[in-house]
Amino acid sequence: MTPVLHVRGLSAGWGPMRVVHDLDLTVRAGERVGLVGLNGHGKSSLFLAIAGLTTWQRGSIELNGIEVGRNRSQGPGRYTHLVVRKGLALIPQGDEIFNGLTVEEHLDSGAFTPRAWRDRGPRKKKILAIFPPLEKLMRVPVGRLSGGERRMVSIGRGLMSDASLFLVDEPSLGLAPKIGKSVMDALMAVELGSSAMVIAEQNVGLVEGRVDRIIGMHSGKLKGEASVLSPSLPPTPLPSPSLGVSL
Amino acid sequence: MNWQYIAINAVTLACMYGTLAIGLSLTWSSVGLVNMAYGFTFALSGYGAWLAAEYVSENAFVVIGAGVLVGALGGLLVCALAFIPIHDKPNFALRGMIATLAISLVGNQALLWYFGPRAKTLPRLFGTSSVDMFGIRITADKLGASASAIVLLTLVLLWMRSSRRGLEIRAMMMNPHAASIVGIGVRQTGLFVMALTGGLAGLASVLLAQTYYVAPFSGITPMIKGLSIALVGGLGSVTGAVIGAMLLGVNEALTASLLGGQYVLITQFLLIIVILLVRPRGIAGILDKAREA
Repeated sequence: MTPVLHVRGLSAGWGPMRVVHDLDLTVRAGERVGLVGLNGHGKSSLFLAIAGLTTWQRGSIELNGIEVGRNRSQGPGRYTHLVVRKGLALIPQGDEIFNGLTVEEHLDSGAFTPRAWRDRGPRKKKILAIFPPLEKLMRVPVGRLSGGERRMVSIGRGLMSDASLFLVDEPSLGLAPKIGKSVMDALMAVELGSSAMVIAEQNVGLVEGRVDRIIGMHSGKLKGEASVLSPSLPPTPLPSPSLGVSL
Repeated sequence: MNWQYIAINAVTLACMYGTLAIGLSLTWSSVGLVNMAYGFTFALSGYGAWLAAEYVSENAFVVIGAGVLVGALGGLLVCALAFIPIHDKPNFALRGMIATLAISLVGNQALLWYFGPRAKTLPRLFGTSSVDMFGIRITADKLGASASAIVLLTLVLLWMRSSRRGLEIRAMMMNPHAASIVGIGVRQTGLFVMALTGGLAGLASVLLAQTYYVAPFSGITPMIKGLSIALVGGLGSVTGAVIGAMLLGVNEALTASLLGGQYVLITQFLLIIVILLVRPRGIAGILDKAREA
């Protein structure tokens, strides 16, 4: 079975800076993967590179067996919508919401593919079941919501899509610990089916023991992985980074 | 001193300038382009309407339709030349402005070369009759121009509120980066926005030509006024543009009848400067309920 995400030799960065170094990663259907690492070690850049939003990148990115990566030296975001239409849902760091749109319009905007758009009523119900506080806020502009509510909207927007790969960037960032934990609970409750989810997180405790596997990221490289059961983290750097591939 | 006359003029001018200002404002906030070629689109669609009236039919629907259609085509032309090739290159805001300015210069000269300097007049689309309303005599051309501008603008704004494409355009106005993340194609949406705003320019052109005329450079002054109204309203805000258009319409009508037509631009820019001194983000700065991220 083809993996949902198959990244080979991906390098990416911003201007003269190279942030992601020649990286390999495979995510299979139904997997929930935790990507842990310190601030500034390339977790977000890896996600943005998969979405084609870094200023340059090279290497191969296969989404459900379809090549969506390309060698690119400019035009960040030029091909992002095409990658998204192939089945990527990026839930970005810092939410990236549309201030003036209401919560409902937000959720609608997440349902991009024609099938998701026709099916958006039931999908919104599903999102409201995951995030009940949004029910009362459907007609409120998102710019007036609190940080936790915004995070729910942002995640809800990602979950509205038909995506086969959900990349969730720092879902607990900037939230009170209790709210961050409930957001994480909600992410764990999402039924993946044949799709997969990668959660980038600095707070190892939030993902530990709740995802199928944890991969460490350090200086733009993947540094081995720990299975769910392993209690000790951060993961020990393994001699060969290719062990992060887990074929 | 005829207050009724001033009021009617103010409303008519507000409708025309509001249409232009909304067009410019939409372009700026969704695709990030200060469209200096808007005056060219305006003049081009005026000629389109004139050709339609000359060779096809003088029916109001045909003439307005031709104006809007040619305007939309003009918008697509501007998009193809000044947006698609350079929108993701560095410094797009400045490059785009220069590119559209170039299109405007070349286009206006081309119109001058092809149609000659003599102004053309469009047929009186709404007849020459006049109506009495609340004791005020309104000539049919002013009534028709205001009414059709209001109806078409309302339709456009409702479409923006309710349709999927409108949702995409509004999403792109608020956060282009996030828009691409949810799968909205910037270029595709840009084409739609430019065709839509071009169509608005065409509409304003045909309606303004009911009181003025069509000439190669007739678009420059309306564009400057539209741009300053868009600024006063707060770039990107449709409500702000409407309020700004009403303010400047009243100002123009008042100045024209109290001081004389030659002082209109002076008082207009004084008013704009005062508003921007008090409210640097324009009128929309007051209206904005949502806080910035």
